[in-house]
Amino acid sequence: MRLLIRILRGYAFTIAGIAIGVAGIVALGAMAERIVRFIEGGDRFVLGQISVAGRGLGMGAGFTAGGMLPAASLRAIAGVPGVWGVQAQVMLPLNPSTSQFMTLTQELILGVDLTVPTPNRHYPQLPVGQGRYLRPGDRQAAVVGASFATSHGLHVGDRLTLEEESFEVVGVLQRTLTAPDRFVVMSIEDARRQWIAKDRMLRTLLATGVASINAPDLNTGAAVGWREGEDPDAVARRIAEQVPGVNVQLPSELSRLLRSSTAFFSALLVGIGALAFVIGGLSLANTVAAAVFERIRDFGVKRALGATDLQLGGEVLGEALAVTLTGGAAGVALAIGLGFAVDGWAARTGQQLFLFSGRLLGGALVFSVLLGTAAAAYATLRVVRLSPAEAIRRGA
Amino acid sequence: MLEARGLVKSYRAPAGAPIRALDRVDLTVPAGSLAVVLGASGSGKSTLLNVLGLLEDADGGDVLMAGERVSALGRSGRGRARGRYVGFVFQSFLLLPSLTALDNVLLAGRYAGRRGPDVRRRARELLAQLGVQERELHYPPQLSGGEQQRVAFCRAVLNDPPVLLADEPTGNLDDANGRVIWGALRARADAGAAVVVVSHRADAVVGADAVYRMQQGRLQPGPPMPGGGTP
Repeated sequence: MRLLIRILRGYAFTIAGIAIGVAGIVALGAMAERIVRFIEGGDRFVLGQISVAGRGLGMGAGFTAGGMLPAASLRAIAGVPGVWGVQAQVMLPLNPSTSQFMTLTQELILGVDLTVPTPNRHYPQLPVGQGRYLRPGDRQAAVVGASFATSHGLHVGDRLTLEEESFEVVGVLQRTLTAPDRFVVMSIEDARRQWIAKDRMLRTLLATGVASINAPDLNTGAAVGWREGEDPDAVARRIAEQVPGVNVQLPSELSRLLRSSTAFFSALLVGIGALAFVIGGLSLANTVAAAVFERIRDFGVKRALGATDLQLGGEVLGEALAVTLTGGAAGVALAIGLGFAVDGWAARTGQQLFLFSGRLLGGALVFSVLLGTAAAAYATLRVVRLSPAEAIRRGA
Repeated sequence: MLEARGLVKSYRAPAGAPIRALDRVDLTVPAGSLAVVLGASGSGKSTLLNVLGLLEDADGGDVLMAGERVSALGRSGRGRARGRYVGFVFQSFLLLPSLTALDNVLLAGRYAGRRGPDVRRRARELLAQLGVQERELHYPPQLSGGEQQRVAFCRAVLNDPPVLLADEPTGNLDDANGRVIWGALRARADAGAAVVVVSHRADAVVGADAVYRMQQGRLQPGPPMPGGGTP
């Protein structure tokens, strides 16, 4: 132990260099993980249900954007073979001035019909972190996403005013790092009132009675489930064929669309990852190799004392392992510390920039140890090729 | 016994003809004797020591230790032979700065496969004999030049090597420390080792059993030794 501490002390600058390199890899990797989680979360959501909207344009947003989906259409969808569960939904931008932008950070109102179970196979209920989820019969009650709660300073029991209507926050969702982090979930009845309040044209139509619209018709879309053993894409096609006036998103097609719309982020992600590996990896390998080359005289002396290549190689690799592990762990700790500090600051606006997943941290440690050992092995091979006299001369 | 036969070694010069550092060098140092090789800088005496100690390969010729042709061994074999047969004392001490004086001495034992309390006790005895036992837990930068050379000497002799090679061992020392190191080298020879010392100082021949002069890579019998002895 004393020897290990002394070795590590002798390598203090090397460890610091490795730590900085690994911190770079981990920090950039954590940002990439954050983006991956967002994309994967959305993908998982859309693959868990068939999303149906009314044909045409409307002010709905999100996965069920489109024209109005009247109650008659919902009943027709429920009658399509293979369908299991139809949940009417209203999805609206919280701020209508941002409705033309489908941004990744858009705050949305999600109104759900609480009298039927949510048919999404992957999210039968959004995960609640504090308080509770909505129950049938809840009115003027809302469950808010984690980022929304942070950025608006909301806790369970607080009041939230939307379109001059007051809601009690009954729950805060767990942080998912995906779209629900910015949701305000409420009963569909409340969401319909929000829709009417936000949409002057709809208000006018309802007031003049030009169109025969009743409250149950005010849906921007529906989440539709499928029976066990059914192919969701086939069920979606069947709905499109059998129910007029609806836009049906095939889960696989929506997933593809989502992925293509996030292609920029995927490319960015690959770029960040490559950059992290190149910069961090080069820094680490260079630091370890330089540390070995710096001790070339010591290796010459050891060989003069009778150390064989095998003994020397084992010694150097052992030291490299200890040094890269220590440097790697310090780098991980440094990155996590910095990440938490930055996220603490970003949380004031409901943002989270880093995700330190287990696979990232483990991968970074394994990567640093493997690369450090390889760099040390390369440097050692170069050193042992020299005669002891030459090594002593060069290191003088 | 240490024996060299027809050693040849050249270095590539940046321009012009190669520099011949060893030119058909023959040398025999019997066990229990101390040979001194004198020569100016660049005469090839350090190269001779390096080749004798298997720190460097010769272009031709053989090195024999205790009758074994060690220069013909492979790289690992030469490494083991160095640990088994040879002890080195360098002009610039070459102690490892990250190790204490005691650990520097023990390093020689480690590569010879010797560990445990016996070798530790032996290392302490040697440090005591050279008068640096109080400094065993000090690191090289905390020691004077003379103390470092004494520690380096202890490291060189820890395994009782039959061959002891010293390259300008007193070159960086004052007279008092120089005398200590010379006395220790002489004592090793008296104990049965074949000791070779290279030096550029003519006064180094005091106490030698044989003296040689190195000039342009050639080894020749040196000047008469004080007291009238011959090489």
